[in-house]
Amino acid sequence: MGRLARGDREALAPLMERHYQRLHRIVLAYLRDADEALDVVQETFVKAFTHAGSWQEQAEVAPWLTRIAVNKAIDRYRRGKRRWLAEQPLEREGHEPGFEALDPSPERRVLGRELADRIGRAVRSLPERQRAVFVLRHYEEMSLEEIAQTLDLKLGTVKSTLHRAVHHLRERLAGVRA
Amino acid sequence: MSAAGAALWRLLHRRWRRRVSLLASGALAPGEDALTRAHLESCPSCRREHGELREVLELLARDPVHGAVPGLALSHLVARVDARIEAERGARTAGVRRWLALPAAAAAGVLVWVLADRPAAPPAASPESPGAAVSEEMLRRMERVLAREQTVRYLNDAQAVLVTVASQARDCDEESGTVDVADEADRSRDLLRRRSLLAELDASEVASAAPVLEDVEQMLREVAALEACARSQDLEAIHREIGRRRLLMKIDLMARELQG
Repeated sequence: MGRLARGDREALAPLMERHYQRLHRIVLAYLRDADEALDVVQETFVKAFTHAGSWQEQAEVAPWLTRIAVNKAIDRYRRGKRRWLAEQPLEREGHEPGFEALDPSPERRVLGRELADRIGRAVRSLPERQRAVFVLRHYEEMSLEEIAQTLDLKLGTVKSTLHRAVHHLRERLAGVRA
Repeated sequence: MSAAGAALWRLLHRRWRRRVSLLASGALAPGEDALTRAHLESCPSCRREHGELREVLELLARDPVHGAVPGLALSHLVARVDARIEAERGARTAGVRRWLALPAAAAAGVLVWVLADRPAAPPAASPESPGAAVSEEMLRRMERVLAREQTVRYLNDAQAVLVTVASQARDCDEESGTVDVADEADRSRDLLRRRSLLAELDASEVASAAPVLEDVEQMLREVAALEACARSQDLEAIHREIGRRRLLMKIDLMARELQG
C-alpha cells in the first residue's frame, strides 16, 4: 500500500489479488448484480490508487478498501434507484427497482431460481445502511466492532441496525423454505 | 400487572429482543451470549423469535452469493483498472493543459489586438495592463464553471436525500408506526447550509436552475423539519409532493443541462 501511495502502479496487482474476491462478494451481496459488482470492484481499486496518498500508514488496508467498495455500491444503487424513480414518480407499487430482467446466473440455477430470487429481493428491500451492516456481518462475518469501524458508525447504531435488518428479512422471507 | 409495570416490561423486553437478534446473528460477546441464552429459557416468545430468526438466517446462508466468484480473471481486472487509471490521468492532464492554454490564447488575442490597425492611444490611456485583463477574464470563467459544478453537486446530493425519504421506510418504532429519518433530516440541514453558500456564487450562470433550486429547497426544509422518528403520514405527504412536482426528474434534467 505504501508503494501504491508513492504512485507505483506495479503494486496494484498484488493488492488486488489479496482483496478483489472479498470485495466482489460484498458488493455482489449488496447490489445483487454480477456486472455491476465487477464495475464497482474496478472503481474501488481505481479510487484506492488515486487516493492512496490519503491512506494513513498505521491504518489497515482491508477496512479502508471495504469502506470505499461499500460507498461505491451505495452510490451505484442510488443512481439506479434515481433513474427508476425519475421514470415513474407517481405510480409506484412500493417495490424496489429490480434486476429481474437479467439472465439468471449459474449459481441461481443450482439453488433454484425462485428461492434465489426471493433472497435477492429480500436483501435488496433492506434500506441502505441496514443492507450494508447485514452484508458485512452475514456475508463477510465481520465483527460488530469491525463493521462500526468500516462504516464509521457507533457500535450501538450497528447493533440496532443489524437487529432491524434481521427482523425485516424475517418478515420478507416469511413462509419461504429452502 | 399495572400500566407502569407493563411499560417497564415492554421496555426490557425490547432490549432483550435486540439481544436475541444479535444472538441469532452470532454477534454477541461470550458473556452477553450466555446471559441471553439463559433468558431464552425463561421467555417462550423470545425462544420462538430466536428460532424463527435462526431459520431465516440459515436460509440466507444458502444464498449462492456466498460462493460466487468474479466473472473476470484477475489479470483482466487488473488490466481494466490500469486502463481506467491511465484514462483518468490522461483526462486530468488534458484538463490542466486546457487551463494552461487559456492564458496563452488570451495573450495571443491581446497581441493581435495590439498589433491591429487601430487609432494610436497615448500610453497612459489604459489604466489596466493586458495581463490584468487576462487574469480577470480567467477568474470570471473559473467562477462560472465553479457555479455550475457546485450547483450540480448540490442537486445530486439533494436528490439522493429525497430519493431515500421517498422510498425507504425504516421502522423507528413498530408499535407507534414511526419511521427513522434522522440521517435524512441531518443531511437536509447540511444541504440547506450549502444552499446558502451557493447563493454567493455567480447566479447568472445557473439562472435557469432557479425554479428547481427553489423546489428542492422547499422539500429539504420539509425533511429537515421532521423529527428523527417521523410519522409515516408526514413522510407520505412529502413523497406525494415530490411526485406531484416531478422533482426527481426535474433534478436529473437540470443537472444534465448544467453539465452541458
